Amino acid sequence: MPPARPHEIARASLLSADALGGGRFRPFLRAGSRDPLRGGGDAQKKPVLVFDGVQKVYRGHSGTDLHVLRGVDLTIERGEFVFVTGPSGAGKSTMLKLVYRAETVDDGRILFCGRDVARLTDDSIPFLRRNLGIVFQDFKIVPNWTVYENVSIALEVIGLSSRLLRQRVNVALERVGLAGRGGDRAGVLSGGEQQRVAIARAIVGEPAMVLADEPTGNLDPALALDILGLFEEIHAEGTTVLFATHDRTLLDVRPRRIIVLDEGRVTDVPAGLGAYADEGIEIDAEDFTEGYGDVRVSSVAAPIPMRARARRAG
Amino acid sequence: MAGSVERAKRGLYSEWRLHALSVVSLAVAFVCLGAALLVVVNIHALKERWGRTGRASVYLKDGAPPQQVEAILVALQATPEVREVRYLSPADARGQVLSGNMTDSTLKALPQEAFPASIEIDVQPEVKEADVQAMVAKLQSLPAVEGIETYGTWTERLGTLLSGGTLAAAALAAIVFGAVLAVVASTMRLALTRRRTEVEVLKLVGASDSFVRTPYVLEGTFQGALGSAAAIAILGALFALVRSRMDGDLGSLLGLDPMFLPWFVALGMVGVGALLGALGGALGLRRLTTV
Ligand SMILES: Nc1ncnc2c1ncn2[C@@H]1O[C@H](COP(=O)(O)OP(=O)(O)O)[C@@H](O)[C@H]1O
Ligand SMILES: [Mg+2]
Repeated sequence: MPPARPHEIARASLLSADALGGGRFRPFLRAGSRDPLRGGGDAQKKPVLVFDGVQKVYRGHSGTDLHVLRGVDLTIERGEFVFVTGPSGAGKSTMLKLVYRAETVDDGRILFCGRDVARLTDDSIPFLRRNLGIVFQDFKIVPNWTVYENVSIALEVIGLSSRLLRQRVNVALERVGLAGRGGDRAGVLSGGEQQRVAIARAIVGEPAMVLADEPTGNLDPALALDILGLFEEIHAEGTTVLFATHDRTLLDVRPRRIIVLDEGRVTDVPAGLGAYADEGIEIDAEDFTEGYGDVRVSSVAAPIPMRARARRAG
Repeated sequence: MAGSVERAKRGLYSEWRLHALSVVSLAVAFVCLGAALLVVVNIHALKERWGRTGRASVYLKDGAPPQQVEAILVALQATPEVREVRYLSPADARGQVLSGNMTDSTLKALPQEAFPASIEIDVQPEVKEADVQAMVAKLQSLPAVEGIETYGTWTERLGTLLSGGTLAAAALAAIVFGAVLAVVASTMRLALTRRRTEVEVLKLVGASDSFVRTPYVLEGTFQGALGSAAAIAILGALFALVRSRMDGDLGSLLGLDPMFLPWFVALGMVGVGALLGALGGALGLRRLTTV
């Protein structure tokens, strides 16, 4: 349990205890209350996210079905930082989309805070998303809104009082290093700054988990490391992070749990790729950095397996 | 709600050119509708005016017993709808006709029987056409009565004109409704394509459908109301201009000053505009994806 930071004192959790049991995801707006996921009790013991035999097929028009996930099992505990990696087209984005219900599973279950996401009604989807912070490669911020407006919208949708809202938006902007930039038009910011705005929006509601889908994909390597550092800070403050990337450099920064996705199945690498290599796993292929530019190709020159087809030696 | 108004304002402000354009097209459509309504309203007023100055001539049969004629006169005088009753003997009738045509010898040569006796009735101005017709029907059945002239052809023609005008206005209204819906919906769809990111972001942060939708419906309502109000203002200005040019000529010709749309019709137009705008705003979002 990380120590409570000053900004956490004013935290208003969006996740009700109800959300863990019956009913649907409902916002829980008592200022100063603690997230039940952090606050101890039964909720604390529950994993944030569980994939249980998840299958996903994209149906093609001419009978060309694409079986993207072929039985994925994984468990992410509260407070973890997990990378999801794999070659382009492996289904990383699909995995995240299933969590925030932009897609639905064909078989299996996805439990988010104990609730089966696949069984939520359409009306409940907004409540699910209020408990998730989502960051994308292309930022997805509104360029003609101000930085402040882009962040505050995440709290406006739940009807937070304006005083509390202002306070929390300012805290979030501070956390991503954009203190005092609230009045700027978001469209004029640099790519790295725009992504910081998106991250502030993702964390301002104190979600149970932050999903990041290639958040550094549009940034140059130095900025990419910056943004990764920001996610690590957020993680250090107690937020669960699921970070999808195909960028080897990021995976090598620190040994972290990595979920390698390939050909519809996952390989869990609890201690990071370095350890994976040490175990003597066969280098099967090439890479998943093909076509991503010189910088990353050179960064994967090290003989470390990228296409981990779960062929563990011994 | 306050947030929705705020976002609607932001939307209108940031894409004011697009919205101004659609308000102008709406105003044009509503000017057409308003002009049609104006014509209908004035034909209606004319009909009221002429239809009500009822006059009827009850022609009596030759040799109708004087006491029967007398009875009719007394009965008519007692009828509240009747303002004035006058008995016209054949001699009176002849005299009246000939007074204007002293030189016409053929007319002078006509026998006394060519001019039947009649009862001339002036109906009270506020009496309705239908009541006059009912009275005429009753008189028609009396044995002393030969026939009745109600001078109703004018009123009938005006009536035909009015129903034709109403039909044309209704057809025009249908077209305008369609146009208004299409304009608002396509503006909204355009605004939506330009704000696709905005909608996507709203969906991602967990906005409910109504949260996303409300500002767009408000924008549509505002556009519709503004467009129709502008149309009424334009029509009013044109109307005042035309009337000042006419300088009362038209009024004396028709026996009536042309009138503008009554306030409730004008208000109704604004209301319909707002409603259609709201509907258009909602329709524009129909294809909103549930990302
Ligand atoms: N909506 C969709 N319909 C059909 N195929 C899709 C759809 N979304 C993704 N795919 C396909 O599914 C595979 C996995 O895609 P994605 O999850 O985006 O992979 P990644 O994020 O790992 O690059 C790709 O081959 C992609 O073309
Ligand atoms: Mg992807």
